Amino acid sequence: MPKRAAEEAVVNDRSTAQPAAGRLFGICAAGWLVPGCGHLLLGRRWRALILFAAILTMFLFGLGMKGDFFLTSSDSYLQKLGWLSVWCVGAPRWVAAFFGYSGGDPFFVSADYGTAFLVAAGMLNVLTILDAYDIATGKKQ
Amino acid sequence: MALPHFYALVLFSFLVSVVFGAIAKDTPRDRLVYGAKSFGLFVGVAVLIGWIMYFLPR
Repeated sequence: MPKRAAEEAVVNDRSTAQPAAGRLFGICAAGWLVPGCGHLLLGRRWRALILFAAILTMFLFGLGMKGDFFLTSSDSYLQKLGWLSVWCVGAPRWVAAFFGYSGGDPFFVSADYGTAFLVAAGMLNVLTILDAYDIATGKKQ
Repeated sequence: MALPHFYALVLFSFLVSVVFGAIAKDTPRDRLVYGAKSFGLFVGVAVLIGWIMYFLPR
């Protein structure tokens, strides 16, 4: 059997096996905490590495451009959505807060871009979690 | 870190396209094509909208 066909057979075997709810939850939680970790647990190492690097780079550029983290206490629904988006990036947000980053500087020239980068990093992480979920349930390879 | 508008646009488009390419499609070639197409559309549409806005009265 050619190597490619053998790899596909292994992937098909993986995808037809339905994971337990606990494992599925673990994959999604790991994917949320560390971008790409869900894919790593599913054996997609290269994809995990690419997703991790892209999302983390986006998040770091957002921090570098002094993007805003938003507050839950705001009356604006859009700001609450922004808070949720940044929260979706997982552990990097907490690590940034741990090292003293509390929300950027709204008067900085690139702050709006930085906020867009932070929000987009969170949204992209949601996409990767959904992708890991689809792979784990066999809907996708 | 203060990035010019266009660099921020290109960087944003590139990183989002990388993720789109990584999670879409099934073969590496299809992913690469999809990511490149996504990147081109991000940048192209942004430049197009920029030019359209340039002609709008301020």
